[in-house]
Amino acid sequence: MLPIKKGFEADIDYDYQRLYVSGMMKLISQMLKAGSQVDDVIKAEVAEMPEGFVFRMAVTPGTLKLTMKKQDGRLVDLPADYTGKPDLTMTFKHVTFAFLVFSFQEHTAQAYANERIILDGNVPMSMKVVRSLNRLQTVILPKIVAKKAVKTYPDLALVQKLQVTTKTYGQFLLNLVKER
Amino acid sequence: MANEYYEFFCPVKMVAGFKALEHIPFELTSHGASRPLIITDRGVRGVGLVDIVTNALDAVEMQAVDIFDDVPPDSSMLTVTTIANLYREKSCDSILAIGGGSVIDTAKGVNILVSEGGDDLRAYSGTGVVKKALKPFFVIPTTAGTGSETTNVSVIRDDESGAKVPFVSPFLLPDAAILDPRMTLSLPPKITAATGMDALTHAVESFIGLAKNPISDAYAASAIKKITNNLADVLRNPSDATGRLELAQASTMAGIAFSNSMVGMVHSLGHSVGAKCHVPHGMCMSIFLPYVLEFNLEECRENIGELLLHLAGPDVYAATAVADRPRKAIDTIVALKEEMYALCELPRKLSETGSVTEADLEEIAHMALDDGSMMLNRIDATFEQALAVLKKAF
Ligand SMILES: [Fe+2]
Repeated sequence: MLPIKKGFEADIDYDYQRLYVSGMMKLISQMLKAGSQVDDVIKAEVAEMPEGFVFRMAVTPGTLKLTMKKQDGRLVDLPADYTGKPDLTMTFKHVTFAFLVFSFQEHTAQAYANERIILDGNVPMSMKVVRSLNRLQTVILPKIVAKKAVKTYPDLALVQKLQVTTKTYGQFLLNLVKER
Repeated sequence: MANEYYEFFCPVKMVAGFKALEHIPFELTSHGASRPLIITDRGVRGVGLVDIVTNALDAVEMQAVDIFDDVPPDSSMLTVTTIANLYREKSCDSILAIGGGSVIDTAKGVNILVSEGGDDLRAYSGTGVVKKALKPFFVIPTTAGTGSETTNVSVIRDDESGAKVPFVSPFLLPDAAILDPRMTLSLPPKITAATGMDALTHAVESFIGLAKNPISDAYAASAIKKITNNLADVLRNPSDATGRLELAQASTMAGIAFSNSMVGMVHSLGHSVGAKCHVPHGMCMSIFLPYVLEFNLEECRENIGELLLHLAGPDVYAATAVADRPRKAIDTIVALKEEMYALCELPRKLSETGSVTEADLEEIAHMALDDGSMMLNRIDATFEQALAVLKKAF
């Protein structure tokens, strides 16, 4: 992750921000996919989404996006050319706002509070998606970073965290190998 | 904070005070309208509130083209379509909504259909689908609590699926809100108390929430002061028109605050109890408010401490040490609840409502986590934490 000084975000080139957000979206979708297979907390959230449920995170004007679907009880990523209407869409109003969130300078709820995200669709489902993302961040990020990336850092013992982290990364790598 | 950011929006004209209703004809004319349709419910019409409005119109030779008085307690799409057809049949050109939350939400839905066209409201559901100005629309609230006259949201039940469908657009806001003390004078004590506590909760939650901002704070603070200064007095003396107007203004100001800064966990729990056990919304707010403040205390000690000034006044605030102010603020709300109980038996606990059993609490806690209001609560509650708050409030 880049060392970014507070207050200097605007100095980062938009092209770089786009590149970074695009990379993070790919990473997050793959990690979320892995998490929905091995992490009990994410599994429990996904279990309550209806089969076939589609959600999207997008950046205005829409070229940068991540679309996921619940299929066979877990999350899979959908191709960029998916044209159906998602059940839930979270749209960042500008690439900078997505950059703030994905570089862990502003957590999702704060971005929503700051009117940087437009939520459209089923509200209870959006809460499940946000909680899954939060969980993912607490699992895959070092605690010091994760504390800024989520609103409330959960009570999570280090040993417990390491176990889930290893499992999630392991599944992530396994999925990569399988897809080759 | 260097990276602070906020937005504030309220384009609603306030027409408030003594003889405010007599300003409606001018408001209609200035919007080029002369054929209003009145949307209301049986209860409101039954106590003669609609007559006050129509008499004020008659006096200057203006008539409501028709009156639809059959809005159900939870607004429904079928009702919206029926009213939209009536509006078109009678060639109306504007809407006057007289009532509480359901009437106002229904009227917002009607305005979408009659302005955008079509019969299927579902086509406009979601965020930002309505993108242009709608027909002239005026709201006359008859309760002092929901603040719906200042929100850009309408929630309408789909009669087929039973789902509550949200419509969000800045164009849903009315052109003006008319606050006249005559409209709330006949409100029964328990409803006055419950809706007042709802308004108080809107102000408090917007003041301590994640989306608080300096402008909404100003509205919230004034609203809190007006409510704590007037609610008990109005219950003791229901015909106190000045006090009633203070409460109506407070409700609208709290509405402006929370429509910009949103609400938090009191509403997450309240919406869930409402959905599961059908306890009136304001009653839930009153029950949960101190318990949720307690839960949030660690994250917003300073903001809760500041509330004391508006809840209890400058003397109490000055006489209380900074460290003791948060606790004292919560205690002041608890005392207000006791006063409401003494004056009109507004329940202090879930068990006192007679509609909630202890066995319901787990499901309520589960539902509360999925309520959108949790998003901007300062702490993300876990299931166990939500359940613990519910048990304390039981
Ligand atoms: Fe409320």
